Amino acid sequence: MSENASNPYKIYTTTWIALLIITVAMLAAEKFHMPRWFLVLFLLAFMMVKAIMIGGNFMHLRYEHSRIAFMVFVGILVTSLILFAFLTPEAASVLAKTPR
Amino acid sequence: MSASHAVSADAHWGGGVSPFAASWQKTMMWIFIVTDALLFSALLCGYGYLRMISPVPWPETTEVFSIPFIAFMTFVLITSSMFMGTAVTAARLGDMKKARNNVVLTILGGLVFLGCQAYEWSHIIHEGARLTGALPGSELAHLGVPPQFPSSFFLLTGFHGSHVISGLVILIITATRTSMGKTPPQGVEMAGLYWHFVDLVWVFIFTLFYLLPS
Repeated sequence: MSENASNPYKIYTTTWIALLIITVAMLAAEKFHMPRWFLVLFLLAFMMVKAIMIGGNFMHLRYEHSRIAFMVFVGILVTSLILFAFLTPEAASVLAKTPR
Repeated sequence: MSASHAVSADAHWGGGVSPFAASWQKTMMWIFIVTDALLFSALLCGYGYLRMISPVPWPETTEVFSIPFIAFMTFVLITSSMFMGTAVTAARLGDMKKARNNVVLTILGGLVFLGCQAYEWSHIIHEGARLTGALPGSELAHLGVPPQFPSSFFLLTGFHGSHVISGLVILIITATRTSMGKTPPQGVEMAGLYWHFVDLVWVFIFTLFYLLPS
């Protein structure tokens, strides 16, 4: 593990500060009256950044063998995409039949 | 299988070599985390489906919840994760007293989070939310929330809350055993992985359920 030898705890405080700043930015984003699609994209992008920071720095995934990171990211991502890909057209067909 | 194939497979899988370059405990913990993440992935996809097919517009969460309060819960959980990371590194460096103290701080963070969640649940139940929808004539019913809204809320935060409770049990056992000198550094690391996972899941719930605009 190649963590900072002088202060091995520094990575946790810097990650914590970064996570808090991102969270505040996400909360403040809706005040700026940006287009909905941009706001959604902004929130999803920063959600992923936060997830990567927690996985990489807090869970030490960046120091593990790349096969573990591969198993985690690909396993979760592929399954979620398959689920999403099957559910979205189903939702669209339900929506089309629903009177509004 | 040819002889050369057998030799090549033996060289990698014949024992003594780990394909993940990690202990079996850590490898199994990661496999468990992946399977648990798939549970939440399915729950979040189901929530997305329910939200998409909702016959009435999804309510603005700011009308139902106090977002600053939810932000405080997020702050508490992120902070507890920082303490847990510190505990894992302290244990690895052999400073078990510091490890135990930081695990205790993590437990306090988890308890505050659970307390906040209990308050939030009691508040929304008081407003008329039930697992199958809003009670007729209740405050939530006046807001016109679809029945999928309280169902999604209770399922997502309920499953997450149950993970917080099990995480706290693991952390209390870890802190007690660390005080007695019975927990190896790897034990603290395994507890930490689980706790960070609980934090990770909250990042998704916080964004997708509370922040995403209707």
